Amino acid sequence: MRKVGFSSGAIAYGDFMGALSMLHKAQLQCLELSALRISELEPLLAALPQIDLSAYSYISFHAPSSFPKEMEAWVADMLYRGVPEEWPIILHPDTIFDFSLWTRFGRRVAIENMDRRKPVGRTAYELQKLFTLLPSASLCFDVGHARQCDPSMTEAFLILSRFAHKLVQVHISEVNSASQHDPISHGAMLAFRQIAAMIPEWIPVIIESRVTSTRIQDEAGRALEALSLNH
Amino acid sequence: MIGLSWLDGISRPQDEQLARDIRQALDQIKKKQPGREGVFGTFVSSHDLIHRIGGETDTNANTTRRILLLLESIAIGRPDAHGRVLNNILYRYLEEDRGLWFGSNQSKVPRFLFNDVARYWRTMAVDFAYKQRTRPDGGFLLRNTKLRMSRKLLFLTGMLTCFDCHTRFEDPSQRRDFYRGKPVEAVIDRLREVLNQPPLEILASSLLKYESFDGSIKKLFTAYDEFVGMLADDTLLPNGLTKRKHLDTLPAEDIEGDDVASDARNISHRFRDAISELFLTKDTELGRLTLEYGVF
Repeated sequence: MRKVGFSSGAIAYGDFMGALSMLHKAQLQCLELSALRISELEPLLAALPQIDLSAYSYISFHAPSSFPKEMEAWVADMLYRGVPEEWPIILHPDTIFDFSLWTRFGRRVAIENMDRRKPVGRTAYELQKLFTLLPSASLCFDVGHARQCDPSMTEAFLILSRFAHKLVQVHISEVNSASQHDPISHGAMLAFRQIAAMIPEWIPVIIESRVTSTRIQDEAGRALEALSLNH
Repeated sequence: MIGLSWLDGISRPQDEQLARDIRQALDQIKKKQPGREGVFGTFVSSHDLIHRIGGETDTNANTTRRILLLLESIAIGRPDAHGRVLNNILYRYLEEDRGLWFGSNQSKVPRFLFNDVARYWRTMAVDFAYKQRTRPDGGFLLRNTKLRMSRKLLFLTGMLTCFDCHTRFEDPSQRRDFYRGKPVEAVIDRLREVLNQPPLEILASSLLKYESFDGSIKKLFTAYDEFVGMLADDTLLPNGLTKRKHLDTLPAEDIEGDDVASDARNISHRFRDAISELFLTKDTELGRLTLEYGVF
């Protein structure tokens, strides 16, 4: 059985304490703490020692998805010092200006494949260029982004076959034409099933679908169904 | 392929304007507009290309766009939409090809795709006759030469791309292992790799290993080289026309005894003979597959 959980940003954007409260009731095994907005980074890191996360067997941390070049060193430093070493740090490659700032993270930093709005990291070819610059980095495979970039799932297949050894986490959701994360549709589920067998069962699955608290369990069930190995 | 603007993502009212702007830009740089039949020079949604394969709604224009997109298109600008559409078209052909995945035949050629490529080749040949009737103003000989040369090359390219799904393995066990578990996306990847090459390179790389057929291979490429040279030759004939323009304007009833027409016919005959020597034989894997898939 796969381990599944939610991104705090999907449940309550910009309100990690509210998200944690809602997720606590769902009793899922995984959690991604999200500081997508740069203004969230400092308060979230400062709050970490006070938050009870003992219910989760897997936790990751999502770095801010946008910040100016002059703040990159500060962001990298905050993450390096503030995020526990065993938590993968999910990083959007388009936020990287200076790769040398991220090499010291080694495998701790997980590059996420991007949606089609972004100029980098969308395909296996583009990811290869990034992994050449950050050879120790791992991969957070966003199956919704991969489907948005190529609904035939060929690009997903290529990413998973080329970087299987780097895979540490999966993001799942429906990614709509405006690149927003929606609940998983039937069409997305059919597409995700095509490559489900390429994702080892022990890889944690983080749901990014924006759902209300009453839909958390349903969406977790859909994510598990989409990536079930029994099709 | 010049002439298609892509609808990728949300349809917008401005899309038609975009197609008009491209046409206008071509006029400004004094380039010929693509095609007279309205197949190109317009915008196209990927929906029809992917979903309408076969049946009443797969029009001649739709088939033409789809097969040319697969066999000889390149993207201008960002390549992601182009790649996405190609992958999805190939997905249709492969995913629904039960014979490829579950058939008892040991040959692994995607028959659904192959049949559509073959259908397009025959469509081009039939349309040649149609244009003879609807365009009495000329162009017969140039169209005829192109049909015998570049259009035939296109068919060969499609055929060899399909055959590559079978021939690219070192031994049958490697092939069996690869096809286990219906790896649609892996086959798409292989096909895309082949199709990324220009047609002549696909042909050359497929023929490279048949050393004993060197004579025929040389004959084939020499003929094609002469064909390209003839159409690109800027030298003016005594009538003040280039060879290409001459072929384009020569009335069908004046072909007999015309030197340029005779040269063109001779080139196309050598091309045809070389293809027969290479592909209509049981002595090569390509020949065996041609006889198995290309005839019945």
